[in-house]
Amino acid sequence: MCVAMVVTVVSVMTGFLDMLKNSGRQIVGDVIVSSGIAGLPYSDEFLVDLKGLKDVQGATPLIDTIGLLRMPYPRGNQKEVAHVQVWAVDPISLATVTDYANDLYWKPAENAAAALAMAEDDPRKNLSEKILTDGKTLIQSKTGNPGIALGIHVSIGNERQRDGSYRPRYGWFMPENDVTLTVVPVSSQGKIAEPREQIFPVVNEVQTGIYEVDHNRIYIPLKEGQRLLRLDEAPLYDLNAEPDAQGRYPVIGKTPARVTKILVRAKQGVSANSLRAQVETAYASFSKRINADLTRNAVMPDYVNVLTWEQQLRDLIAPVEKEREMMRVLFSLIYLVCAGLILSIFWSIVVEKTRDIGILRSVGASRLGVMWIFLRYGLVIGVLGSALGVLLAWLVVRNINAIHEAIGSDAPPTIWIGSFVLTGFFAIGLLYSIWRGKLLRILLWLLATLVMGLIATFLALHHGTLIWDPSVYYFTSVPDQVDWITAWTTAIGGVVFSVIGAAIPASKAADIDPVEALRYG
Amino acid sequence: MADHQNHSDQTPPLIEARGVRKTYSFGAVPVEVLTGADLIVHPGEWVAVLGSSGSGKSTLLHLLGGLDRPDKNGGEILFDGQPISVSHGKRLDGYRNKDIGFVFQFYHLLPELSVFENAMLPGMVGNWMTNRSEARKSASKLLDSFGLSHRLAHRPGQLSGGERQRVAIARALVNSPRVLLADEPTGNLDAKTGEGILDLLAQRHANGLTLIMVTHDPAVAARATRVVKLANGCVVQSSPSE
Repeated sequence: MCVAMVVTVVSVMTGFLDMLKNSGRQIVGDVIVSSGIAGLPYSDEFLVDLKGLKDVQGATPLIDTIGLLRMPYPRGNQKEVAHVQVWAVDPISLATVTDYANDLYWKPAENAAAALAMAEDDPRKNLSEKILTDGKTLIQSKTGNPGIALGIHVSIGNERQRDGSYRPRYGWFMPENDVTLTVVPVSSQGKIAEPREQIFPVVNEVQTGIYEVDHNRIYIPLKEGQRLLRLDEAPLYDLNAEPDAQGRYPVIGKTPARVTKILVRAKQGVSANSLRAQVETAYASFSKRINADLTRNAVMPDYVNVLTWEQQLRDLIAPVEKEREMMRVLFSLIYLVCAGLILSIFWSIVVEKTRDIGILRSVGASRLGVMWIFLRYGLVIGVLGSALGVLLAWLVVRNINAIHEAIGSDAPPTIWIGSFVLTGFFAIGLLYSIWRGKLLRILLWLLATLVMGLIATFLALHHGTLIWDPSVYYFTSVPDQVDWITAWTTAIGGVVFSVIGAAIPASKAADIDPVEALRYG
Repeated sequence: MADHQNHSDQTPPLIEARGVRKTYSFGAVPVEVLTGADLIVHPGEWVAVLGSSGSGKSTLLHLLGGLDRPDKNGGEILFDGQPISVSHGKRLDGYRNKDIGFVFQFYHLLPELSVFENAMLPGMVGNWMTNRSEARKSASKLLDSFGLSHRLAHRPGQLSGGERQRVAIARALVNSPRVLLADEPTGNLDAKTGEGILDLLAQRHANGLTLIMVTHDPAVAARATRVVKLANGCVVQSSPSE
């Protein structure tokens, strides 16, 4: 049971962590290049450099900032405002680096069978391909205006169902509404300029699977973001010259458009760390090249962070990893209990069997032979227990979603009626044993009747207890893959601790004086 | 007093105790049970060690059987001319397993094992892989000759005292030892059953088995070929049985 518990819990947590990591990588790519608020100029040139690297599958520029989103609800003048993380992106290249295109939630059913499988009130049943195209381009095809895609939990308009799908709440189907985004441009000197706002039609919503992201993030086209945040290309005026009749200074050049981040995706089989080193080198060379041109100015490599996705999402992943390790350590303490249990049981057996041990010694059993008898039992208990534990854990983990579903649903009438019938049989057994007057049997039948009666009553009254509520947790299903490394190490640990538990009584047995054992045993 | 044997001065002794002393400590109080016992047993002899309770009979038997050791500088036990009282580990285990067989007053059968399994126990203990089939054959033959072939699958708890003792004798003989050490083999049996057991031992003795039997009963001791009297921890008299 100890092995089964450890393997089940750690497998589910490892699965959860893997899902989290996988989702994390799918939303930021493998390597993230970022700089300060002033942004990285000449990103187009750097992107060309990046795409020239042999291990790069894709790269995309973006601006990452914060903003306020004025929602269309409630009705009336006073609207709700959400603070959001704004990602101004090039949706086409973003889709080559992240799972953006797949994460767009509102899309028509892939085929007739999928449509049939959807619930009647699921809006996706009646969606056209246009909503998906609009989401992929961040342009509302109806008007040609730049659109916005919201994280699925940014608005209160989406209610998550048990099956992980969403229904519009309070009649707010967001893709039919407009929102107003307000952002605050910040100069390279860190000074805040006048806030700027723009109305965007919601073209789609995004479900990455990570609540923190889906609750906060919105996506707008890169050009709009650059314009709103004054990171777009602009004329460079000579402020030392005399202004013309209209008060304008002469234009002496252009300030390049800037982005705050570049996400890079590695080709299949290339590690994020290896790509990070390549990107770092590429940026150093890019920066050197740009700065060699006296009319241009790139951010120095020292002021640019190049991180892997794991480093970037450390805050998200680290707590879960720590929790898993804590669980591993806490549950592993059960080993000591097992070893203690085996020790005390075997100690009692040795005391009880002292005379038999004396007999064995008298017919020629060696001390090691006697010791091996007990160690062998410890080994057998360990091996069998570990094997059964791993088997049980495998059965539970592989069927965890079905088990969860069963716990979350009403008990079928046949089951609880059957349980009551069984209780009735046990009660008859109890009456019979009372008539026979056997105390132990009365007690056992009484216990069986009470336990079965309680189970039957519980089943009859049970109307579903959802432990892993998909409307609350990040993921729609519980991870159902056994962590085999944990399974094997736990099983080996179980065997080792069983043998350790048996070793002390085994040594005591080996030390028994046969004469004493035969005389007094 | 030295043990005077008259069996055959020419035959080398099979088992021998020379000035054996044994002291037990009960808390802080040392109790000297054997104070210098001498005993020589030749092959084919049936020696009865006679003495009252507490005279050290069983202790002497345990020392002869390698279950216990004499005190430091407290004499020695020889088997076939080789000292066994200084042997350790494998050699002593092998001696108990192959060279001698023990029969106890209270049978000392393992209650969880069947009659057959109990009888073949020394064969399984010695060398599990090689001895098992031999032990099986030997146990089967012995139990059959002791009239227990219909009881093979029974547990010791389902047998009478006499049957249990016969199983214990079969167990002692299963590895064909050269000496059988019997500690009050009839002490827990009624007179008639005890006679049956002594008849069985006599039969084995007639076939050449060397027997050393401890008893407090002169009538039982009379079945032996030689009686050795033990008093105050040493052999005080050794004479042919009347």
